[in-house]
Amino acid sequence: MTTSNRRNFIKSASLAFGSVLLFPSCLKQKSGYRFFTPEESLCIIAVCEQIIPKDESPGATDAGVIYYIDRQLSGIFHYDQETYRNGIKNLQEYTAKKHGKTFENLIFDEQTKLLIMLESNQLNETDWPQGKPADFFNLVRSHTMQGFYGSPIHGGNKDYMSFEMLRIDYPLVIGQNRYRT
Amino acid sequence: MTIRSLSAKTDTGHSVQSQYSVYRKIMANKHVNAIVVGAGAGGGIVAKELATNGLSVVLFERGEWPDYDEHPNDELISQRTEVLGSPFGPDHIKNPRTVTYKGGGKQIVTPIRGGYSNNAACVGSGTVSYGAMAWRFMEEDFKLKTVYGHVEGSTLEDWPVSYEDLEPCYEKAEWEIGVSGDDTQNPFAPPRKKKQPMPPFEYNQEAKVLYEASKRLGLHPFPLPMLRNSIPNNGRAACIRNRTCCGFACPVDAKNGTQNTVIPIAISTGNCELRTACKVVEIMIDDRGKATGVKYFDRNDQAQIQTADVIVVSGAAIETARLLLNSKSKLFPNGAGNNYDWVGRNLQGHAYTGAYGLFDYDILDFSGPGATVAWCDFNHHNPGIIGGGLLANEFNRLPYLYTNIRPPGSARWGKGHKEFQRSMYHRTAQVVGPIQEMPMYESRVTVDPEVKDFWGIPVASLSGERHRLDHEHCKFLSGKAEEILKEAGAYQTWQSVGGQGGPSGGQHQNGTARMGNDKKTSVVNKYGQVHEIDNLFVADGSIMVSGGGFNPALTIMALGYWVGGYIAKNFAGTKFK
Repeated sequence: MTTSNRRNFIKSASLAFGSVLLFPSCLKQKSGYRFFTPEESLCIIAVCEQIIPKDESPGATDAGVIYYIDRQLSGIFHYDQETYRNGIKNLQEYTAKKHGKTFENLIFDEQTKLLIMLESNQLNETDWPQGKPADFFNLVRSHTMQGFYGSPIHGGNKDYMSFEMLRIDYPLVIGQNRYRT
Repeated sequence: MTIRSLSAKTDTGHSVQSQYSVYRKIMANKHVNAIVVGAGAGGGIVAKELATNGLSVVLFERGEWPDYDEHPNDELISQRTEVLGSPFGPDHIKNPRTVTYKGGGKQIVTPIRGGYSNNAACVGSGTVSYGAMAWRFMEEDFKLKTVYGHVEGSTLEDWPVSYEDLEPCYEKAEWEIGVSGDDTQNPFAPPRKKKQPMPPFEYNQEAKVLYEASKRLGLHPFPLPMLRNSIPNNGRAACIRNRTCCGFACPVDAKNGTQNTVIPIAISTGNCELRTACKVVEIMIDDRGKATGVKYFDRNDQAQIQTADVIVVSGAAIETARLLLNSKSKLFPNGAGNNYDWVGRNLQGHAYTGAYGLFDYDILDFSGPGATVAWCDFNHHNPGIIGGGLLANEFNRLPYLYTNIRPPGSARWGKGHKEFQRSMYHRTAQVVGPIQEMPMYESRVTVDPEVKDFWGIPVASLSGERHRLDHEHCKFLSGKAEEILKEAGAYQTWQSVGGQGGPSGGQHQNGTARMGNDKKTSVVNKYGQVHEIDNLFVADGSIMVSGGGFNPALTIMALGYWVGGYIAKNFAGTKFK
């Protein structure tokens, strides 16, 4: 079957049977993520917001840092997938055990305390079975900084938010600096 | 068209039968006078010197022509971070290396994952995206052993060439590639016959403040020499002081490298064919010890052979050493020029060291490239310090890199970290410089016995440590940098001291095929000619005996003129046969 024929077949078949029958995956809820499950994304969004919280200027959530991390994990950072998957699982299990909630549902200061414990490797193997908590935390920290301060072309730093915060120019033409009076 | 097993003929008539049946070719490549492997700072110049002197040349480059538009203003894909890729090559999947750290096992590394010592792989190589500092080494840099004596645990040695020998080559590099500067303001500058061709750059605001402060300290600040156009030059524009300069290609082509100067000249002679995306894997050496040509994979990954009278290797310190080591033959069973086990030894680079200072006003104006003022007060003649290094204000700090610039004890993340980023990004000055490293016999490039690249060729393996004095010298230089920042009015300062661990290497990689008069303790002679293989030369940072306390680009260019000029002048007689 040539490409053109295949396209025509799909088109006409869709009309005849409806796309749901032909493409059952269309029934699934679309998460918008390539790597994270919707549940995982909520956890990572909360961790990123801890690393770069919103104050007088936007934080990691506003800048779409999660999309940067998600995109790179499904591409060039594929070797970090396991660290994320295990790290999220460990974190959620520990939080559930200690607080009876998911990480993203803790209050901000509780989240901060918990991440400080991760950063300083204070959790033992029982509480953090796979890998070292600091390795997971430091990885998310680096990726959050990259997503927030890197070019929007990679998924984060929406509308050059961090460049506006830093008062640096874009596009990069001398004499067109938008943030200096 | 038939594919047949290779049996190339050199012009002397003896046959070079490939020992690998995979080496086949569709059409014979025409024999040429010279092959140059690597179109970077050294190779681009050699190709031009040979082509303009009438030699037929094939210039091999494993990368492509650089393209500014591909990653404009993208910190994560820049030579400064290489987080998401290397804009100027090489391909991060096809070109692994291995690194062995002390106390740790061997690790496979890629251009985008730590310790790789990536330079670049494109036409012009590092000269496309470099910071473009245009330093001449000082007279002392060529005779470190004479000046400082033997250094325990180091292979520190004099060069077989002097500053005086290379002076005309420095001058050629400055005028043909294009340098802005005014050495008359630097009392420590080595003697020169001709001034730098373009006027120096104006100081940016940070530099003005540091200039005044260092004057009060009795130091000798001067405008940093740059391989960039301060005025329109050579048919190209003047620098627009773009914020993102070092680590990026220039949007108006005002940064001078071999890709926009000598390589186009070489090609325009009609004598030089540039073959991009071609990966040279072995230098063929016959049973009489003559280099006959190279084996390479073309852009379609087809194995090919190119023969020539003379071969010049300019792949930068790590890849040059790898190519020599992978070129085994009857008379050189351990690699070309390696009968005395010196190929790959003395891998050096530059430990960077300096200090930061916080100011209570916006000291940075972010006019590019950032670095504009320099000091040579700490190169030589400082009691107890061997070599030393220059200091300069730093290239513009980039937003992601700045997230790791913090005084000791600062928040690494969270509200405090963000507040610092926002309020101090324009208020953090930095003075920094490269230290003269002590060459180490055990700091080296070998070929890995197990790991192979995409083409099945054993990869470069880096190992060894820095000399303990490097860190001591770094402490000295960082202390001086901090003094300048304090005098300039910084309300808080802290040092960032380099020079520990290893192996060395990095973008300033050098030393792996060192020059020398004795074939038992060096790889090439004073003209870059491999000992015992008269028609094989090396012309890049590999042949440097020591790395200097300066960025090495202009010195590598001068060596390109030195080696290229020697070959061009002597080729007509014997063709080095």
